[in-house]
Amino acid sequence: MAATFFGEVVRTPCRAGTEDEEEEEEGRRETPEDREVRRQLARKREVRLFRRQTKTMLEVSLLEKHPCSKFIIAIGNNAVAFLSSFVMNSGTWEEVGCAKLWNEWCRTTDTAHLSPTEAFCVFYHLKSNPSVFGSCPRRNMQVTILTCRHVTDYKTSESTSSLHTPFLKALKTQNFKEPPFCSLLEQPNIVHDLPAAVLSYCQVWRIPAILYLCYTDVMKLDLITVEAFKPVLSSRSLKCLVKNIPQSTEILKKLMTTNEIQSNIYT
Amino acid sequence: MLPPSPLRVGIRGTNIVVLGVEKKSVAKLQDERTVRKICALDDHVCMAFAGLTADARVVINKARVECQSHKLTVEDPVTVEYITRFIATLKQKYTQSNGRRPFGISALIVGFDDDGIPRLYQTDPSGTYHAWKANAIGRSAKTVREFLEKNYTEDAIAHDNEAIKLAIRALLEVVQSGGKNIELAIIRRNQPLKMFSAKEIELQVNEIEKEKEEAEKKKSKKTT
Repeated sequence: MAATFFGEVVRTPCRAGTEDEEEEEEGRRETPEDREVRRQLARKREVRLFRRQTKTMLEVSLLEKHPCSKFIIAIGNNAVAFLSSFVMNSGTWEEVGCAKLWNEWCRTTDTAHLSPTEAFCVFYHLKSNPSVFGSCPRRNMQVTILTCRHVTDYKTSESTSSLHTPFLKALKTQNFKEPPFCSLLEQPNIVHDLPAAVLSYCQVWRIPAILYLCYTDVMKLDLITVEAFKPVLSSRSLKCLVKNIPQSTEILKKLMTTNEIQSNIYT
Repeated sequence: MLPPSPLRVGIRGTNIVVLGVEKKSVAKLQDERTVRKICALDDHVCMAFAGLTADARVVINKARVECQSHKLTVEDPVTVEYITRFIATLKQKYTQSNGRRPFGISALIVGFDDDGIPRLYQTDPSGTYHAWKANAIGRSAKTVREFLEKNYTEDAIAHDNEAIKLAIRALLEVVQSGGKNIELAIIRRNQPLKMFSAKEIELQVNEIEKEKEEAEKKKSKKTT
């Protein structure tokens, strides 16, 4: 124990202290009640598939009826805005289904109260070429993942003030043979959450997949961040899907103005 | 994590100082006049800030009082450096006191001293301040600073109109929707602060676009 200048008494770390370690371990041990609570919460986890228009439940087997050659997933506001403006704007896309999930880390009590911004995924397929979408992994399927991350998560030996944000980095599976449209993500940077899960799945099942990760200093919907994804439009997956880039840029600008949430705290 | 602020650009010309800011669109029912990013501290000094609006209001009020107090005490208007140092000292105090947090604003302060020399200073939350010939703060400041480094020449700033155009061109590097999202203020020697109206900015933007087109036509003629 030690006393500080202000009269507080603090515990000092003890090199020999086995007694202290035992006390801490007791505190950490789970009681049977804790275990029971965890089990009950785990039972409540659910993933719901349904059609938004009819609000009818969807069987996973129905989704498996749609084979696909290209699977594009966008995670986050900016990636979704990019896909909506540049890809989904060209051609007619039909909503096939929607997935909502709930686990004990969600802030609401059940899926009924989840807002579309939380744990919500909508599946679309291209009407003219229904092979663009599917849930069943096929050998000749190619997966493209688009997501954003804040630039403060990017680890580099260079000074952060020299970074030109936003910038793209890529991470691909072993089976992906096409050259990426930006440099690969260097170590020790890692990918987290859903993009990591999708990429890992593709690596295990030997599906060619590439993740384009945009490091940006603005995580909310932002024109410059969305436009950072533009080099990806030249990729084999997206080239045939994009028709009218100037029109897409206009649609993106409209999307920005309608979604601009004005904050008076910052000027 | 604070969101990055909209862009602010300051340029020190030979006979003019220019402050340009990127304007975010205001909510429909909000009175635009109350959302000001360029504020006069005195007749000959003005400031553009980026960061927490409430902190900026407190700093500006204190700076304005100091400008008048100085004028009454020593019978001379403040120099731009004096008021910048006052603001920087105020900010520094809040980084070194218990129970307080730093002011969350960066500022560009421009004006003319009594000797007729134009000045541009930048301050940041730490309380440091530096003089600049041209600078940008806020979102994409790095890109704009590189643009200014390439285009800030003695010829560019010799004429008032060219200095104004340089500021607008720097803003247009980043501001996507053109003139309607730009606010501009200038101070000419021995003249008060002038805020540009939307029409005046639009005129300047149109002129810049014409010059760009002509330059591109010349380039394509040379290549053919």
